[in-house]
Amino acid sequence: MRLLLVEDDIMVASGIKLGLADAGYAVDWVGSGERAQEVLTKESFDVGIIDIGLPGIDGLELTRLLRRPEMANPAMPVLILTARDALQDRVQGLDLGADDYMVKPFELPELLARLRALLRRSQAANTAVLSFGSLELDTANRRVSIAGADGLAATVIEIGPREWTVLEYLMIHAPKPASKDKLLQALTGWDKEITPNAVEVYVSRLRSKLEPHGIALRSIRGFGYRLEQTP
Amino acid sequence: MARPGLRAMTSDLRNRLLLLLVLPLSVLVLVSAWLDFRSADDAAVQHDQRLLRLLPGLADSVVAATTPGTEPLLMLAPAVEEFLRRSGEYTAFSVRTVDGELVLGEDWVQGPLPATTAAEFHSVEYGGVTYRVAVQRGETNAGELVVALADGSDPRQQWLQQLMLRLLLPNLLLIAAAGLAIYWSVRHAFKPLVDLATAVEHRSPRDLSPIDEATSPAEVRPLVRALNHLFDMVRAQVDGQRRFVADAAHQLRTPLAGLQAQVEAWALLARSGGKDRNFDEKWHAAHIQITPLAITLGVDEIEKLRAATRRTSQLAHQLLALSRADARNVDAAAMQRVDLKELCGLALELHLDAAAARGMDLGLEAQPVHATGHDWLLRELLSNLVDNAIKYAPPGGRVTIRCGRSTVRGVLCAYLEVEDDGPGVPPDEYAKVLQRFYRAPGAAGEGTGLGLSIADEIARAHGSTLQLMRGAQQRGLLVRLLFAPESAAPIEPPKTGLGE
Repeated sequence: MRLLLVEDDIMVASGIKLGLADAGYAVDWVGSGERAQEVLTKESFDVGIIDIGLPGIDGLELTRLLRRPEMANPAMPVLILTARDALQDRVQGLDLGADDYMVKPFELPELLARLRALLRRSQAANTAVLSFGSLELDTANRRVSIAGADGLAATVIEIGPREWTVLEYLMIHAPKPASKDKLLQALTGWDKEITPNAVEVYVSRLRSKLEPHGIALRSIRGFGYRLEQTP
Repeated sequence: MARPGLRAMTSDLRNRLLLLLVLPLSVLVLVSAWLDFRSADDAAVQHDQRLLRLLPGLADSVVAATTPGTEPLLMLAPAVEEFLRRSGEYTAFSVRTVDGELVLGEDWVQGPLPATTAAEFHSVEYGGVTYRVAVQRGETNAGELVVALADGSDPRQQWLQQLMLRLLLPNLLLIAAAGLAIYWSVRHAFKPLVDLATAVEHRSPRDLSPIDEATSPAEVRPLVRALNHLFDMVRAQVDGQRRFVADAAHQLRTPLAGLQAQVEAWALLARSGGKDRNFDEKWHAAHIQITPLAITLGVDEIEKLRAATRRTSQLAHQLLALSRADARNVDAAAMQRVDLKELCGLALELHLDAAAARGMDLGLEAQPVHATGHDWLLRELLSNLVDNAIKYAPPGGRVTIRCGRSTVRGVLCAYLEVEDDGPGVPPDEYAKVLQRFYRAPGAAGEGTGLGLSIADEIARAHGSTLQLMRGAQQRGLLVRLLFAPESAAPIEPPKTGLGE
């Protein structure tokens, strides 16, 4: 996974680089917006982390620039880092094509989780395969499978169309929880008159199919469900 | 605090005014009584002289009896007759022999028998009336007799009676009326001052807005001006302090971000190192940065370092949030309609991992409800409350985020609340836990002591205060923000039957 880090603070940058490299990302680090623009015209990255407070071309400007068609990957998901956390900055950041933001100082595990979610979403848009841990959802072939460990063959799991809708929604939003209301909305494509109980039924069916493979559907009291990996 | 003092001041003023008024009034009464007495005295002298003038007339009126042995006759002189008739029952006369034997008239009209022919005056009590009695011994047609005239219309006597009626009573009434008038007017004259004192007294200590000079009476305007000046100075100082804290917190965050990024990376590396095949190489890479004097830190040390760094970062963030949430600093006009249910959902998502890490059941009980407020501040409020609940409740506990509306004094008000089933806070500590940096005795080591005071500040920015109470079954802590009734929007009609 190739990642571009645009950050002028050496301490922050080296920390992120260290942490991300450990998590398996190939990190390219540049310290200015101008340099980032130069790199982005030539090379394609899977994801970018951009600091707002850059000298010269700042993070917001850069995010706007990199969406231009002449850039190598205009669809690159971007996570904005900001030390400013006033509301205006947040909204502006997201309006200008950033996909997510984090306020400095931040916790690395949180950054990693956000990156994974960003990548999963962009992956879903590009490759039609969603993955969560060992669970894979092939949206083109409508196939759910559990990747086999160490070169073993994948296990295919049979699920019904409504279960598919629920699982797809949960996977797109993982690790965020999905509210029952949203799941109901997603399911209305199938049935006009659908009750909240139906969601519970599909979730419990999915549970019995996925839990043996280390994937849990945790109930969040009063809210909905969340996809989790059980160790 | 200022009120009893002010009351004492007005009553003191009342007493002084009363004293200042009553003293000259009393002097006036005395002077007027004295003058009155003088004029009564003059009149008395005139009365005596009239009696004196009439005595010879009375003496002349006694006509000797034609037959000896019988009583002498009385032929009243016109002047004496007029005197006796005019004054009616308050006049009387007597004629007696030099031995004191009554010849004519009333027996009681007498004094000690005079030895000479000079007129003598006496006061005689008769029938409850004090009479002035003039007695003279002289020659008459009927030989030497003692004649006496009594006059009950003695001005000195009447003066004493009338003194009460004419002078003391009206003056006492006047003094009483003056007292009432003073009481009333002092109360009314001081009402603006009392109002001003009440307004200042009932002010929240955070309210440093100037008092309206135009509505205060001209006499206290200099005081109001001085107060406003003081408010200005205090406000400037408070603003300066807040700006300083905000700036300092903001400046701290940049180096903290670097420090935290480093420590976080070390912690990740140290954890993953054990199971990673390339452990040695990576470990080495991580440590090359702190050469040439390499120090080896264990996973535990690094994680302690990380925890301390995270806490410091959180503190910087909270200090900044606190100064931003300052009720004086928040523009009430910029409030929007906020979907509280959505807000609760976001807070739940944000803290799900932290709750899961402590094995806690974080849940939601949200009704669709909107309120007028600052979206980002309310987010901050919920975040601090949930964070607190997760930190202070024991592992495996239950934390619930709620929103809805409840009826307070007959009005529907929207509310936001967070309840936990942890150790709770004793009710006498409620005020203290809202103070900045206060941490309940025995509280676990993680908090900064700012969470609740930030939440309280945000509640104030929404024209409310934070309510603390016991949770269900008298356990844990329930913190609630009750919105002002006008900010509670009417219940939304359900859109499609699917909510949200």
